[in-house]
Amino acid sequence: MTGILMLLPILDSNSYHTEILATAALYALLALGLNLIVGYAGLLHLGYAAFFGIGAYAYALLNLRLGWPFWAGLPAAGLIAGCSAVLLGLPAIRVRGDYLAIVTLGFGEIARVVATNLESWTGGPNGLMGIAHPAVGQVRFGVEARPYYWLLVILVAATAWACARLRRSRLGLAWLAIKEDELAAGCLGVDPLRMKLLALALGGWVAGLAGCVFAAKQGTITPDSFDFIQSVMILAMVILGGLGSIAGAICGAAILSIAPELLREFSTYRMLLFGLMMVALMRLRPEGLFGNRYQVPNGQSVPGTKRRV
Amino acid sequence: MNGELFLQQLLNGLTIGAVYALIALGYTMVYGTLQMINFAHGEVFMVGAYLGLSVMLVFGLAAPAPGGAAWLVMVIAAAAVGCALLGLLIERVAYRPLRKAPKLSVLITAIGVSFFLQNAVMLFYGAQDRYVPELLPARRMGEGAVSVTPMQGVIFAVSILLMAGLQWVVHGTKFGRGMRAVAQDPLAARLMGIPVDRVIAMTFAIGSALAGVGGVLFGSYYSTINFHDGYLVGLKAFTAAVLGGIGNLPGAMLGGLLLGLLEGLGAGYISAQWKNVFAFAVLIGVLLIRPHGLLGERLAERA
Amino acid sequence: MGSPLRRAGVFILLTLLAGCGKSEPVIKIGFVAPLTGDQAAHGADMLQGAQLALDEARAAGEIIPGYKVELAPLDDNRSPAQAVSAAKRLAADRDVLAVVGHLNSSCTKPASAIYYEARLLHLCPVSSNPEISRQGFDTFYRICPTDDLQGPAGVRYAVQKLGAKRIFVLDDMTTYGRGLANEFLGAAKGLPVEILGHEGITQGEKDFTPVLTKIKGLNPDLIYFAGMFPEAALLLKQKLKLGLSAKFLGGDGLFEPALIELATPEAAEGMSLTTLGGDIRSLPTAQRFVQAFEAKHGHLGAYSWYAYESTQIALEAIRRAGKKDRTAVIAAMKGMGSYSGILGLHTFDSKGDTSLRVIGIYTVRGGKFEFVEAVHPSPPEADPPLAGTSSG
Repeated sequence: MTGILMLLPILDSNSYHTEILATAALYALLALGLNLIVGYAGLLHLGYAAFFGIGAYAYALLNLRLGWPFWAGLPAAGLIAGCSAVLLGLPAIRVRGDYLAIVTLGFGEIARVVATNLESWTGGPNGLMGIAHPAVGQVRFGVEARPYYWLLVILVAATAWACARLRRSRLGLAWLAIKEDELAAGCLGVDPLRMKLLALALGGWVAGLAGCVFAAKQGTITPDSFDFIQSVMILAMVILGGLGSIAGAICGAAILSIAPELLREFSTYRMLLFGLMMVALMRLRPEGLFGNRYQVPNGQSVPGTKRRV
Repeated sequence: MNGELFLQQLLNGLTIGAVYALIALGYTMVYGTLQMINFAHGEVFMVGAYLGLSVMLVFGLAAPAPGGAAWLVMVIAAAAVGCALLGLLIERVAYRPLRKAPKLSVLITAIGVSFFLQNAVMLFYGAQDRYVPELLPARRMGEGAVSVTPMQGVIFAVSILLMAGLQWVVHGTKFGRGMRAVAQDPLAARLMGIPVDRVIAMTFAIGSALAGVGGVLFGSYYSTINFHDGYLVGLKAFTAAVLGGIGNLPGAMLGGLLLGLLEGLGAGYISAQWKNVFAFAVLIGVLLIRPHGLLGERLAERA
Repeated sequence: MGSPLRRAGVFILLTLLAGCGKSEPVIKIGFVAPLTGDQAAHGADMLQGAQLALDEARAAGEIIPGYKVELAPLDDNRSPAQAVSAAKRLAADRDVLAVVGHLNSSCTKPASAIYYEARLLHLCPVSSNPEISRQGFDTFYRICPTDDLQGPAGVRYAVQKLGAKRIFVLDDMTTYGRGLANEFLGAAKGLPVEILGHEGITQGEKDFTPVLTKIKGLNPDLIYFAGMFPEAALLLKQKLKLGLSAKFLGGDGLFEPALIELATPEAAEGMSLTTLGGDIRSLPTAQRFVQAFEAKHGHLGAYSWYAYESTQIALEAIRRAGKKDRTAVIAAMKGMGSYSGILGLHTFDSKGDTSLRVIGIYTVRGGKFEFVEAVHPSPPEADPPLAGTSSG
């Protein structure tokens, strides 16, 4: 499957199409990361774009200030983003359900405002320019989207594989347990706090990777790429695809990033139709494309099971 | 610290805070009855502002109009009615069919509605800022360095009136009892014979009407509106609702005023650039100490 | 993992194949500006100017035999992130041989790097931040004067003609606004004037009463605002409401008739601003343009003539290149070195900046912009003209 996706830009050499594919792959990566937090661990996170941004700025600063090359920056960005996720998550975890959502939203906004105002570090509202593209040996990536697309497909495939393994692992089962009933899980020896923080750390790590690739590809980053709307879009991708589903996250990302481009034909009515599409999709299939129809009585969808709980 | 300046900042902060409060009420009411964060609420506020503008244009009102106050009341009423209808429509078409769906799906629907409204307004009215005529004279009242405009006075008066009215409805009428019952336990309420669907619809209508009024007041106060205003103000109002304790009506009012004050004072005395951070920082701080918001009660955990 | 993933892949494939296009011999000139959002008025003016240039050129005959020439307008909504996306789209589109844009310096600056990498000729109508041409991109050309001229002209006008002794400076924290404010402040050092403070406001904000109240307490003669017209309109209105009677001076970002409408003529009365050029109506070389544009659109707009000129230059470079090749177009532009257009004779220096350096001063009277005077500041240092230098 990965092979077919890799061949796409060779079959269709239109640069613009490859650009869209690369964007879709980037969002697929982000959706997978958020899926860990929202789908597996059941934490409603409305500030995910902040970690995307932290990863991007981390690589940008490492590259611009310390001269780090891309391949060193990639894991570093992931690590920094993952750690931030944990740090920001510590106070948030204690707060219940929907309050968690607003706290994460708040942190997301704070991160963005900090990036906009700390001019000496982050370049302020104008962001950072001149970030180095990745290089493999002597070959630098440049402006063409194709190599980035390939890199991203590899990352997405690797992350998807890791997620699938995680879901069936003890960690995955622990997440399922605390999602269902935190109190009961706690009584059975699962530490909800640690599990939640782990989910945040892993989700943050993935976002950091995505951010690093984004920064390297664009060459310039600004705070407005990492705002609340971005967080909402990624969340929408996960939900559209079906909470907790890997294929769903990828598909949701593909649809929501490619659809605006396809709809460009209708240019002015584009966002209008987009909104309608979201409403219609939820109406027709509220559990998402790959989600599960079987639901527990309180309306929460349980991924990975096909029997009524 | 200059005393007069401080008073001025205080006044300005409370003015916008009153608008936040009106919108926050809608958020909190819907959350109280449906446990749903109505993301489209901010756009209803924005539509209210534009409806007000339309009414002014239809009647050829320009600033400042003779008998301005009367016209303003009419515009407010028109926006309230229009937004109430809009709220009813949204509830019926987008939310009611998803009553049994996972909460997150409703969230996405709300976001879809939000996109739709934003862009519908943009297509209809244009992407640029629109000028809203100021129907009340801009003349300041008051001595020395502290000035109050008549518009500010109107905002306070209208907000206080509406909030008092809402309190009366919720605690003094049969409908209000129904609202509170549905908020506590929808199933039990239905079993008791309360028309749950109608109560929910009316909740949306009232909340949306309040947002519409807020929109007109906002538009007249700044006399510039843009289709993007709903998102920004909606976010702040939602923050205010949570600050006060989501699901709690006086909490929403308090949260709104507090937020407006924090923003105004923070921007004036610390730095205008970091304005938005104060609001969120305070919110997070409050939630850490009082996890259910300032006035929120510990609701029974829904399984 | 097999089946659902395969389903996903097939789905993606199908959606993409739907979008495969057909090619026809066409040449495009990219155009990027805020076409939506609060600065859309500026963008619309510019687009109309660019379109007029293209229409006139097409009416005069084929630019390169066998090819249809089109404008490819994209929106950046004054957002650097969107500007970068738009730039990448244009760079990837092989039909695009030149780009006219953007409006905001914060958008033009990062985009210019992408056009440079893609070897795409980049004509800039009105972004005035000096840093853009200092990046060393041989693809970048600019037809307006820069802020290291506009800022000093502004402060000199404030002190000498408006008699200001105490000034408070505001900017909108963009590349353009912050840059212009710094130039203003730099030049203020040598003048008998006291700077009371320098603060930033955020674009898109509505409520400036806190910072204006603070300014009121400092009692300035004049407020200088380096930013764009939507925020300026709000500042003027709120300043009036607060009873802050200081004079108001701004930069070229305020030069838009919508400013007066949004601020109300009452609040805008008496304010002044500097612009990137003199009075277009009094230029003999521009008469035909003024007539043609007004006949078509009923008004003159604010930045329309810059976009017109830029597009004309782009077309000329393409014409001289003679073939659909980006490198040829860049070489043709270098070889051109100078261009005689509606604004006068441009001689481009090694950085790509024009030799036409006039700063205009306007004021608002009776609800309209009124031309006051043109200032010809001497350039900080004279860069060698471009014609005659071999390409780098």
